[in-house]
Amino acid sequence: MKALGLLGRVYLAALFVFIFAPIAASVVFSFNSDRFPTLPLGSFTTDWYARAFSRPEVWEAIGNSLAVAAVTAVLATFIGFATAYTDFRYGFRFKQAYLALALLPPTLPLVILGLAMLAWLSRIGLSGTLSGIVIAHVVLASPFAMAICRLRLSQMDPALEAAAWNLGSSPWGAMRHVILPFCAPALVSALCLTAAVSFDEFIVAWFVSGLNRTVPVMILEILQGNVDPQINAIGTVVFLTSMSLVIAAQFLIFRRRSNG
Amino acid sequence: MADPLVQFRAVHKSFGTYVAVKSLDLDIQRGEFLALMGPSGCGKTTTLRMLAGLEAPTSGSITIGGKRMNEVPPHQRDTPLVWQSLALFPFLSVVENVEFGLRMRGVAPKERRDRAMMWLDRMQLKGFETRRIDQLSGGQRQRVALARSLVTEPEMLLLDEPLSALDAHLVIRMQGVLTRLQKELGITFVYVTHSQSEAFAMADRVVIMGQGEIAQIGTPQEIFRGPRSRFVAEFVGRNNILSGMAQGGVLTTAQGAVPVAAGDGAVEIVVAADRTFVSRDRPAGAAIRAAFLSEEFAGTGIICYFETPDGAEWKAQVTESQLAALQPESGQDFWLSWQPGAEHVMGA
Repeated sequence: MKALGLLGRVYLAALFVFIFAPIAASVVFSFNSDRFPTLPLGSFTTDWYARAFSRPEVWEAIGNSLAVAAVTAVLATFIGFATAYTDFRYGFRFKQAYLALALLPPTLPLVILGLAMLAWLSRIGLSGTLSGIVIAHVVLASPFAMAICRLRLSQMDPALEAAAWNLGSSPWGAMRHVILPFCAPALVSALCLTAAVSFDEFIVAWFVSGLNRTVPVMILEILQGNVDPQINAIGTVVFLTSMSLVIAAQFLIFRRRSNG
Repeated sequence: MADPLVQFRAVHKSFGTYVAVKSLDLDIQRGEFLALMGPSGCGKTTTLRMLAGLEAPTSGSITIGGKRMNEVPPHQRDTPLVWQSLALFPFLSVVENVEFGLRMRGVAPKERRDRAMMWLDRMQLKGFETRRIDQLSGGQRQRVALARSLVTEPEMLLLDEPLSALDAHLVIRMQGVLTRLQKELGITFVYVTHSQSEAFAMADRVVIMGQGEIAQIGTPQEIFRGPRSRFVAEFVGRNNILSGMAQGGVLTTAQGAVPVAAGDGAVEIVVAADRTFVSRDRPAGAAIRAAFLSEEFAGTGIICYFETPDGAEWKAQVTESQLAALQPESGQDFWLSWQPGAEHVMGA
């Protein structure tokens, strides 16, 4: 790789500032004693965190979000892996259409997806329930899990599975002893990423959540009431959670690629 | 020979409209080293995969040890395969790779570890058991793959071009390892390759395949000295082919008339490059005229390439001192001759 020129470095730095400045500002103001985000800063305080996390509805929302994220991650990773494995293992007619459909959900406008989910979930009586949010998030997150698993499977020697059969593994045995261990880093990575997608997701959750609010929905409701640095405190926690998950996912994919 | 280990009877395999193997009849004996050889797409790999159960014959029958195997899935056979890519499991250590077959067969942990260690020892891989596969050299991986396939002590080992990824000097060494191993174990090796030198160096019998059919079966020497068809003669290499009409012991060809020991009619003869002599003056007996093209150093001698007036390529193997005496230059005409009876009449 060529080293960046001076101009390139300045540009790169500016880009990162542009992306991360608002987040950094939110983190900084979450520790600032002033009620309004103005300069110069007031004194350092953890008061906003104490206040935000003393509210029972915040804990309830975090609990909801964690539960939804965990269940979504497991289901989406399972579906994503199964979809990717089908693509890897079998050739069939309309395979291109199958792949296009499997990758479609994230390309839909979220408002449309949210509306459609609301209409459909209320039809089957799941609107406003956590299960409803899980279903919506699984639809959204599965393609990401599939993409990760597909990447990993593409790095696998296709003879590996047949080699397992050849050495006495039944087809299920080969899945358990060869395919799944080979894909393990991708599966953990997919779990992290789909959990992050669910934990962050606001628009569809807002449409279908009803009284069972997740964290992003609750943040909006607090914001609609008044601007309060508690939002910064909650936002910082959400940001750190999602970032940790995404970084973990990235780390697993890249570490594997260097020695896989 | 009684009681062959494997019998192919009228085996036919097609993929859609593509016919990979047609009406294959082949017996494989216990304890023999059999090479399946042919150009890519000749059906040799499909034949091997049918033995391992990775493909099912479209029609015909395959028996192993007298038992019909057509519908037996791969994991219920004991036909381990050494893969062209080796297909070692990258997430397992060396010893875990080797004991995989035993683990799948439910052998207790202690016993399977002992048996795997014994094979690692035998393959001179002692001390490497906890390594990861990507920490091994090409030759070491090769030996891990062999140990992994042999740990269940099968009656037959299948090998699919296992040496094609190795450096030339390692290929020779592994050929020695394989032949010695096969003799020691006394089991059947079925070895697929497109390399004439590998097949001829190791195999007891060679099966030459072309377009899904057996072109010839025989010992390396039988095939090298007595190719039955133009396809075999050309595939085996370093053969010169001359075709024409024979009458009264004389073969009339585009290159002239030469004596031949064949009945009347259309005849093709083969003269091996190492039985072809080069001279400036016309010798007595069978000889044709050809222009020198180039020479190639080939280890055991030098292969000189010639072109006959009608455009056929001829090869002659000469020694370094012969080449020095001849001083051939490109375009110069020479006489290419052979001793009476050195030619092989094809189809006879």
